[in-house]
Amino acid sequence: MRTIRIAGVGETGPVQQDRRSIPEMVLGAVDLALADAQIGHGEIDSVVTASVDLFDGLTASNIAVTEVVGAVMKPEARIAGDGLAATVHGACQIWAHAYDTVLVVAHAKTSMAANGKLTQWAMDPIHLQPLGVNFSAAAGLQANVLAQHDRHAEKRWARLSCERRAAGTSGMAKKLSQSEILASEITTSPLRNGMCAPLGDGACAVVLQAGSNAGGPVLSGVGHDLEAHGLGDRNLVHWAGLTRAFDRACRVANLPPADARFDLAEPSCFYPHEEELFLRATGIDGGTVISPDGGLMAGCVPVVAGMSRLVAAFKWLRQTGNAGKRALVHGHWGPAGQAQAVAIVDGGL
Amino acid sequence: MSERVSVPIEMVQSWRYSSGDSMERFSNGIRHKRIEAVKCGNCQRRYLPPRPVCGNCHLSLTEWVPVSDVGTLEAWTVVYLPFLDGRTGELRDGPYGMGLIRLDGSDTTLNHFLNQNDPAKLAVGMRMRIVWRDELHGAMDDILHFEEVS
Repeated sequence: MRTIRIAGVGETGPVQQDRRSIPEMVLGAVDLALADAQIGHGEIDSVVTASVDLFDGLTASNIAVTEVVGAVMKPEARIAGDGLAATVHGACQIWAHAYDTVLVVAHAKTSMAANGKLTQWAMDPIHLQPLGVNFSAAAGLQANVLAQHDRHAEKRWARLSCERRAAGTSGMAKKLSQSEILASEITTSPLRNGMCAPLGDGACAVVLQAGSNAGGPVLSGVGHDLEAHGLGDRNLVHWAGLTRAFDRACRVANLPPADARFDLAEPSCFYPHEEELFLRATGIDGGTVISPDGGLMAGCVPVVAGMSRLVAAFKWLRQTGNAGKRALVHGHWGPAGQAQAVAIVDGGL
Repeated sequence: MSERVSVPIEMVQSWRYSSGDSMERFSNGIRHKRIEAVKCGNCQRRYLPPRPVCGNCHLSLTEWVPVSDVGTLEAWTVVYLPFLDGRTGELRDGPYGMGLIRLDGSDTTLNHFLNQNDPAKLAVGMRMRIVWRDELHGAMDDILHFEEVS
């Protein structure tokens, strides 16, 4: 199987509000990634973008960025999900020998409209939309099942949110103490405002290239999975889809899922209980560094979220002393983690 | 630096979804306070709300089984955020209870409102029953909410 090198990355944000247009913001991330990879638009064979029409307020939301991602007169595919799923598709294009160099881009601006109202329209229209079920309500139902027989859950989640917020440098997440988080407004019980990742605007771009691991971190394995849409069809206390995605990624990377060891984990957690679901589903233990930059709790852009974790892992692996280490990257989208994606990144030589 | 121009866009548009054969039968049933689930002939899982295909086995679901209007609360939350009711266009304010209820005779849960919004009075495992609206027209909101079986 071909080795896929992560040749370059670029990101804008997360920021609470990016005053630029969507194409301007996306171009910012693309230019940074191309400069990081030291290549030009002409060397990109294929483009995969991730965006969600509801957030962008137009259908086929990729049409707004065709030029800035360099997709004119090139093959482009668009994923209406997390950017890490777009990365999975980009990797598969290279492994299939269809293309050698693929640009993957994800973008969203939550400042454009009320996100909570929008996610209601991502639910089943016959049964769930009339009830007003949105992603916040789904997260509350899931967290409450976890907290049912665990009287320490809320305090533990408040402490975790406090730690993750404190580690962030984006300026988006207000630093809050555990007691301040426990006193913040309830959104969907038992979740409180201080436990919700602050949403903002941003774009991420990653250049994937067939090559060797001599030039930096490589994408060793990917996997994704989709569970049933209805919350009532699923066991909410176990992200079974993530376990399957993780197993697939390990198989691609030639790692035994039960014994795979990671130096770094970058889970996508919009709420603190999701980090516990992530640990359960992947079997990650205490020897792994988790989200040293605060993860999504320090500032989050839906759609970009999982890809921002890939960029964070890439930067960590490029730091002095981390070459040769291994990272697990995670993204999810849909209500209560319906869809899951995983990437395994190995540091270069 | 000059202020950026932002362009506000408003769209008023309505959609009419076809409910499909299985939801049509379900809707006709609830008009008469009758709940039915569909059962997979392979894995035996009884689905509510009904749907055309078993997601696990990918087999058509054609067998209907009766389901009680009483069941067990499997998950709940109290929502403090208002939401826009797509059927009326009106804002519904929080806090309101929301739950996943597994009706007796079904293997999956139904998502719906609870009449209770006090977290101290809600618990997984509670027995709940459907409270119907006075006038039934064959839609999911014919179920007003669920209440605890006293």
